[in-house]
Amino acid sequence: MKRILRSTEFYVFLVVVAISIIIQARSGQFFTANNLVDIANAMVVPGLFAIGAYMVLVSGGIDVSFPALASLAVYAATRFLVDIGYEGSILLPFAIVIVLGALLGAFNGLFTTFLVIPTLIITLGTANVFSGIMQGALNSVQISTLPPSMNAFGRANLFVATNPTSGLTSSMPVSFLILVAVAVIIFFVMKFTMFGRGIYAIGGDEASAIRAGFKVKAIKFWLYVVVGVIAALAGLIRTTSMGQMHPTNLLGMEIMVIAAVVLGGVAITGGTGSLTGVMLGTLLIVIVQNSMILVGVPTYWQRFALGTLIIVGTGVSAVQLMRRRTRQRLVSA
Amino acid sequence: MKQRRLLSKIAGLTLASALALTACGGDGATTPGDGGDTGDSKHTIVIVPKDSTNPWFVRMETGVKKYAADTGLDVYQKGPAETDATMQVQVIRDLIAQKVDAIGVIPVDPGALEPVLKEAMDAGIVVVTHEGASQQNTQYNIEAFNNSAYGGFIMDNLAEAMGEEGTYTTMVGHVTNASHNEWADGGVAQQKEKYPNMKLLEAEPRVESQDDGEVAYQKAKELFKKYPDLKGIMGTSSFDAPGVARAIEELGLKDKVFTAGTGLPEANKEILDKGLVHALTLWDPADAGYALAEMARKVLDGEEIKDGIDLKVKGWDNMKFAEGSDKVLEGEGWIVINGENVDSFGF
Repeated sequence: MKRILRSTEFYVFLVVVAISIIIQARSGQFFTANNLVDIANAMVVPGLFAIGAYMVLVSGGIDVSFPALASLAVYAATRFLVDIGYEGSILLPFAIVIVLGALLGAFNGLFTTFLVIPTLIITLGTANVFSGIMQGALNSVQISTLPPSMNAFGRANLFVATNPTSGLTSSMPVSFLILVAVAVIIFFVMKFTMFGRGIYAIGGDEASAIRAGFKVKAIKFWLYVVVGVIAALAGLIRTTSMGQMHPTNLLGMEIMVIAAVVLGGVAITGGTGSLTGVMLGTLLIVIVQNSMILVGVPTYWQRFALGTLIIVGTGVSAVQLMRRRTRQRLVSA
Repeated sequence: MKQRRLLSKIAGLTLASALALTACGGDGATTPGDGGDTGDSKHTIVIVPKDSTNPWFVRMETGVKKYAADTGLDVYQKGPAETDATMQVQVIRDLIAQKVDAIGVIPVDPGALEPVLKEAMDAGIVVVTHEGASQQNTQYNIEAFNNSAYGGFIMDNLAEAMGEEGTYTTMVGHVTNASHNEWADGGVAQQKEKYPNMKLLEAEPRVESQDDGEVAYQKAKELFKKYPDLKGIMGTSSFDAPGVARAIEELGLKDKVFTAGTGLPEANKEILDKGLVHALTLWDPADAGYALAEMARKVLDGEEIKDGIDLKVKGWDNMKFAEGSDKVLEGEGWIVINGENVDSFGF
């Protein structure tokens, strides 16, 4: 019980509940079937990005290149498929995007493994390289018509929720299953595999991780490969659900995603944090982003409200982290 | 040991910044114009759009290229990699350093651009703008049309779809975007004057799509959930109508609620064919690019700028100063796209 009370996840959960109740009270619309489906729908892409950002943060790094990575992988794949007039199943687009995501992730991985520079700097560089390749070499433009299977995948839904009073319908996209699957897999990987424990160990103290026998370089390299694949999947989902490829649509999301991850209790210095917290943090930001109009916050104040939430939320986790440090220091002294 | 690590850090940093630099060079450099290297009499005119990947500005580039071919001048387009005021400032700063003769800017955020445009003018560069009626540091700003009149025109289309009755609201890219807000204001004014049975949604009179189709979609869903009476959304940004159309389709509101706005024919073919959007209006960005380059040339050559000047494009051939302004010139270059004529434009 004490452990629960001390965990960040618990407080984020309380905030999510409190905010949901406030929105419900102000709008009467929050706990309706179609609104909950809308929130789940809006959660898919930020949720996947957050899982990737969480893994990197835990390892003591920080990755700001994932939106550019996803954009490049998906743009290249879509461009190629549209140019050859592809009409086959959705499997090939997924396969191409996963391979490209892995390759670009490996590019990040090589640099972070062999260069002793902060990953923030490296990924700032690679983010520019990725969007540079997309916009310069590939000469990216908006692609208005996707291959039919991609379009169909974006429109495919698990079920349609109807609001009994207003009659409005919202569809739960099939891609929500991908978020669930990735979250479950990464949860187990981070908790129960040597790879996952290695990521935590590196983030805690890299030198100790080496002495403890973790293959630090290999772990770091594969970490970025995995993160690249997850980011590219998110990119493909966004493109299919929009029904069009907007090359710059994802760029700029990294700040909000990293804020969500930190909000969920992942230490920006690495080594601590849980996937549960990350999902709650992301959920919180997605709920707030998608409920401003429901609550009736005027357009001019929406950014202010979101910014305040991030400052207060991340501030709370920072204070907790400091407390924990002080406690540890007291113990060791 | 420590020193060696520091060294490798420094080496790595240079590498990373070199990477970033190369990338910047690649960014949005859609045409490799070599600025400083031109002859004396040959003007270098650079058009700076908001975003080099948005199809709107890709289309604009075809007009810019045509102008270069028609006149033989060194005219090209170079924009930021995404719609971002800071990145646009950077592009302009680079052009000042290259000592180009004139720039034609389509500002992301006029306020954020004032200092750098002043710098450009102080450096002797001719500055003209498009879609920036509120811009102070510009010699001339040209508009395809009077912004209020165009807003009124979008409203006419929306009113027609809504049967001239019901509640509506307006959507803009950003509340700081000058043109979008003038269109929205013009639309509201038109409604007050011509459509007494329509009503602006007081609680949420203007929402932001952040020039992002996904945000437009999410916001539209929220609006229709919160305000069951809402019957129409007047879009302005080219991302608004497609995003709103996606929401209309998903919520099952087709033929119950309506949207109209600005958009390119080809990108919106599907939603127009399906009837999710009644009609879109626009001006041809290629014409705008052409006219903007011609405007810059006129200023460079010291031609007299007065009411009725001809920028050599249809709809832009009789430019008039806006009321009370000696900077803003307006034409009559708008067109309507609907399900019937969407295939006839070729862009």
